[in-house]
Parts: sequence; C-alpha cells; structure tokens
Amino acid sequence: MLEIKNLTKVYDDGTVALDNVSFTVQDGEFLVIIGLSGSGKSTLLRCINRLIEPTSGQIILDGVDITAASPAELRRIRRDIGMIFQHFNLVKRSTVMRNVLAGRLGYVNPWLSLLGIFPKEDKERAWKALELVGIAEKAYNRADALSGGQQQRVGIARALMQEPKLLLADEPVSALDPATSHSVLKYIELINRERGVTVMCSLHFLSLARTYATRIIALKDGKMMFDGLPEEIDDQRFKEIYGEEAVRVEVN
Amino acid sequence: MDNQPWKKSPSPWKYGRSALLAVVIIAAYIYSFRVTELDLPRLVTDFPKAVPILQDFLTPDVLARGEQTESYVINYPVPCGSGQEAEIPDSGPRIVPSVPCSDPKTTITVEGFDLRPDTKVQLRWLLPDGRRLRSARATTDGNGHFNVEVEIRPIVAAKEGNISQLEAELQWESTGLMPSEALKITFAKIVETVFMALMATTFACLVAFPVGFLGARNIMGTGPVGTVVYYIARTIFNLMRSIEALVMAVMFAIWLGFGPFAGVMAMTVVTVASLSKLFSEAIESIDPGPMEAIVAAGGNRLQAIVYAVFPQVIPPFIAFAIYHWDINVRISTIIGFVGGGGIGLQLQTWINQLAYNKAGTAVWAIVIVVTILDNLSSQIRKRLV
Ligand SMILES: Nc1ncnc2c1ncn2[C@@H]1O[C@H](COP(=O)(O)OP(=O)(O)OP(=O)(O)O)[C@@H](O)[C@H]1O
Ligand SMILES: [Mg+2]
Repeated sequence: MLEIKNLTKVYDDGTVALDNVSFTVQDGEFLVIIGLSGSGKSTLLRCINRLIEPTSGQIILDGVDITAASPAELRRIRRDIGMIFQHFNLVKRSTVMRNVLAGRLGYVNPWLSLLGIFPKEDKERAWKALELVGIAEKAYNRADALSGGQQQRVGIARALMQEPKLLLADEPVSALDPATSHSVLKYIELINRERGVTVMCSLHFLSLARTYATRIIALKDGKMMFDGLPEEIDDQRFKEIYGEEAVRVEVN
Repeated sequence: MDNQPWKKSPSPWKYGRSALLAVVIIAAYIYSFRVTELDLPRLVTDFPKAVPILQDFLTPDVLARGEQTESYVINYPVPCGSGQEAEIPDSGPRIVPSVPCSDPKTTITVEGFDLRPDTKVQLRWLLPDGRRLRSARATTDGNGHFNVEVEIRPIVAAKEGNISQLEAELQWESTGLMPSEALKITFAKIVETVFMALMATTFACLVAFPVGFLGARNIMGTGPVGTVVYYIARTIFNLMRSIEALVMAVMFAIWLGFGPFAGVMAMTVVTVASLSKLFSEAIESIDPGPMEAIVAAGGNRLQAIVYAVFPQVIPPFIAFAIYHWDINVRISTIIGFVGGGGIGLQLQTWINQLAYNKAGTAVWAIVIVVTILDNLSSQIRKRLV
C-alpha cells in the first residue's frame, strides 16, 4: 500500500508543480494519472522514487517512509519500484540483454556487475522477462535496432527484473502509435493482473485511461482535481480537467 | 517596447554607431597591413630566389645507385720483426705485398690476384690507434689483377707492440637502384614520429579518461564536493590548453634534453589538456535517460556510469583519440625543430646543412604519412559514430 501525504513540490525557479497532494493506492490497483501537459504528472511519479526530491510531505510504501530514507536505504527501496519511461531510457548501443540485466543492478554484487558478471539466475530471469514481453529473439540485437514498441517492451522487461511491488510508468506510450500503445499497455496490464504488481501510470488520452485504469486521478496545476472510477468522468468532469476548449480525442 | 525593433525605423544614433564601427575596422586593417609589411608583389618578383630550393624539394633524395665494397686486410709489420706477418694463401682472391715486412721510408709493391675485374681499388692503412690512412689507388684488369707501389711512411710503424694492417677495398656501383641513405633515415625517423605520437596519445588517453569524468557537470552533480572538483578540473584544462605544444616542447627539451622523450612528454601534456575537455563535453552531451533508469532501479552511481555512460562515450572517445594521434603526428614534426626528436629534428638538421634534396625527402614523407593517417582516422571515426 502506497500513501501519499500532503506532497508538495516547488522547483528552484518557484514553479509549484505539486500542491498538497494526498491519496492512497491499494495493492493491485491500476491507477492512471491524467491531466494537461504541465499539470505535474511526471513530477508526482518521480517524487515517489525520489528521482525528484519532494519539497514537503510524505510518501510511505508498505509502512516505510521513502522521503526519510538515507541514500543506502533509498537504493534498497528503489529496487521495489520499477519505472517505465516515455522515451524508454535504454542504452541504445548496448544489447537488449544488457539493458534488461541493468534492471537487476540494485540486487547484484556491485563490483562483479561493473565487470559485466551476473549470476546465472539473473540471466534466466532476463530470458523469462524477455519471453513475457515477446522479444526473446531480439536479446542480442542492439537496442536501437528495435522499433519503438519493442524498445518499450525492453523497458518493461528491465523493470520486471526488479520484481517490483510497484510499477511507475510516465507516459509509457506517448511516443508510440495507437495500435502499438495498446500492445504495450496490454503487457503492463498483464503484469498488473497476473503478478499483482501495483501500477501507477500517467497517460495523455482519456480513452486509454478508461480502458486500462481501475482508478483515475486527475491533476491540474499541481492539484488533485478528481479521484475516482473511470466511468465517473462525464463531460462536465472532462471539461474541468482539460479545460473548456478541450475536445475529446479517442484512441482506439 | 523593444520586442519588435524591426518595425521601427532605426534611430540616427544607431547609424552613427555603425559608421564609427566601420571607420575603426578600416583603420585597424590599414594599420595591420602596414605593421605586417605586406608586400604582395614580392611574392612574384622574389620568386626566382625560391626556385632552386623548390626544385630541390621537388626532387627529393629517394633513390641512389648502391655502392658496394669488398675489402681484404693483411697484417703488415713495420719495421720487420715488430709483429706477426701475414699468411698469404696460394689461391683465391688475395693481396700480396712484395715483401712480408719492411722498414719505414721504403717503397714496396702490392699486387692483387683473382679479384673482381675492372674495379677500383683503394689501399688504406689501418693504424694501431684505430685511425685510417689513405694510400695508393689502383684498378684491377680483366683478370682481376692489380699492381701498385706503396710508400711505407713512418706513421704506419708499430706502436707498443701493435702493428698496422693494410687494407685493399674494392668499390663498384651496383646495377640496381637502391633506397638512398636519406630515404632510409627518413623512413626510420617517420616511424619514430608515428610511434612518438602514438605513445603521447596513449598516455594522454589514460590520464584524460578519468579526468574527463571529473570535468563533467552531469557526473559530478550539484553537491559541494562535486562542484569544487568540477571547477578545479575545468580550470586546469583551460590553463593547460593555453600553453602551445611548441612552448611545452622547449620546456621539456630543457628538462629532459633533446630527443623523442621530451617530444612525447610535451605532446602528452598538450593532448591531455585537449582530450580531457573533449571527453568532458562528450560525457556532458550524453542522453541522461539510461542513467536515470539505472538509478531508479536501485543502482549506484558507479554502476550508472559503467552501464549508461560508458557505452555512450566510448565511441566518441576512440574517435577523439585517433584524431589526436593524427594531430600529434603533425605536431611532432614541428616540435622536432625545437628538440622534440623524430622527423622534425632530422628535417631541421638537413635544412641547416642546406641539404634541400634530403629535406625534401622528409617533407614528402610527412605529407604522405599525414595524409594516410588523416584518411585512416576519418574512416575509423565514420565507422564509430
Ligand atoms: N526541473 C524543473 N524546473 C523547474 N520547473 C519544472 C521542472 N520540471 C518541471 N517543471 C514545471 O513543473 C510543472 C509540472 O511539470 P511536469 O513535468 O510534472 O508536468 P507533466 O504533467 O508531466 O507534463 P507533460 O504532460 O508535458 O509531461 C510544469 O509547469 C513544468 O514547467
Ligand atoms: Mg511529463
């Protein structure tokens, strides 16, 4: 269970990206965060694993206060939190396998890992992860030789290596076309359903959010605008979240 | 109010400023034209002076008819009894003195048998103290025989029990063309130069690789220690870069003496300065995403550097290193002039000796090697990026 309490982030330049945000995520939820560009979705997700330092507030994962963790504790906590990125964040020149194994770096012997030595179990785990996302045959290709959708699946496999409790996905499909978006989100959904991994995912399109979310949170200018079930977002709510001029764009 | 300046007509003040600027620039050019004593017509009128040297440069000393020699040495005690006399064989190529020994201030006859026919012969005394003294000349006949009178001068007398030897050296030009002495020296020196540049570049890489990370903002972070290290590293790069290779070479030549070692050290320092900065910039321009991903997965800083930064920076590093090797070959030709060893030193020696044909050989060798390396390095770099 993840508890966010009074989370506020003010950037050095004075931008208030998150303004006193509080909510709780139950285990096994597929929580989708929506909101306009600049509403604070990325800031929220990155505060959870402290890629961004929150200004104030608390983030508590299974009773452990992430915001109070020391650097060493933080590294241990981060192992339980997988992350998937909008631009995949793969090492383009490295092989798919090496990229996937990198997801295990928090667990392995740091010195051996610097020499590129991983335990056998981790290699087997990597093969399983690649099989799960359907790209095992690409294991020894360079990452940049893969299509965008395939690269994001490598990103998912890398996150799986951590055997995370929580998976953060910051606009995982906004660099992909609609059909590919669905295929990638389906893998995330699979991990959520079959492995019971809690997912927090920001998405641009409400239609995608509706399809996959068990619950939706909407942000506007760093404030929580909405917290509820997908079907509760009617035209009125939509206009509140996206502004009067917004038109619904459907992605099928 | 100033956000659309193009819509307003410029003020007279602006015109005035432009005009003033134009006057200043023109004045600066007129002045610089005079202080640099530019006299372009002389390029043409004085050209004849350059012609002989240019001709020498264009006809480098590359090939020579090889000179071959063959020599026969016998003991010859002066005066008699001062040492072992020569044992003369009965057949085969040999030289035979009319008497096996003699006293100073006499004259003997020396004959040669079964030698190379129609060949020049130079007789020489090899004195007890190692010096050589030229004596008579002769030419063999069609049967390989010569006969010549040799004066026994007092200087060839034995000293402290050591006697002189008599040498007959046959000299003839070989038929084929052979690489000239200058070409051989040039070859040896250009190889030395290429390897000097290689050593300097290698040492420089070993230093610049770690140092490059210290001068990269994204690696050093924003903490107090990181910031201080970063600024110290950057300051050192800039200070080092402001010293020219030539000056560095002079300093090292004073310190270590003339020669390749001084040259290598000078180039190493210059290359470290330049490569560190390039390495830092390459590190700073990486995609931060992969590093972020590793940190997010619980990896530490070193793991993030090895897994996310190395793969991104190794190819540009190699490209920079090869490029600097190429540059260093060029530089080493110059720093040779101030004592850095290699082809540059040789070139300077030949120029001082007014041996422009030989200098031409060196210049051509430099041109060829630099061109080859240039192509090679750009090929490799293309493949890397
Ligand atoms: N490093 C930063 N420094 C200063 N301001 C920042 C920084 N990062 C983000 N912001 C600001 O914080 C606000 C929230 O940004 P954030 O990236 O979280 O929005 P987002 O909802 O993820 O937007 P998008 O959909 O475009 O990704 C924006 O106003 C943004 O300009
Ligand atoms: Mg964002």
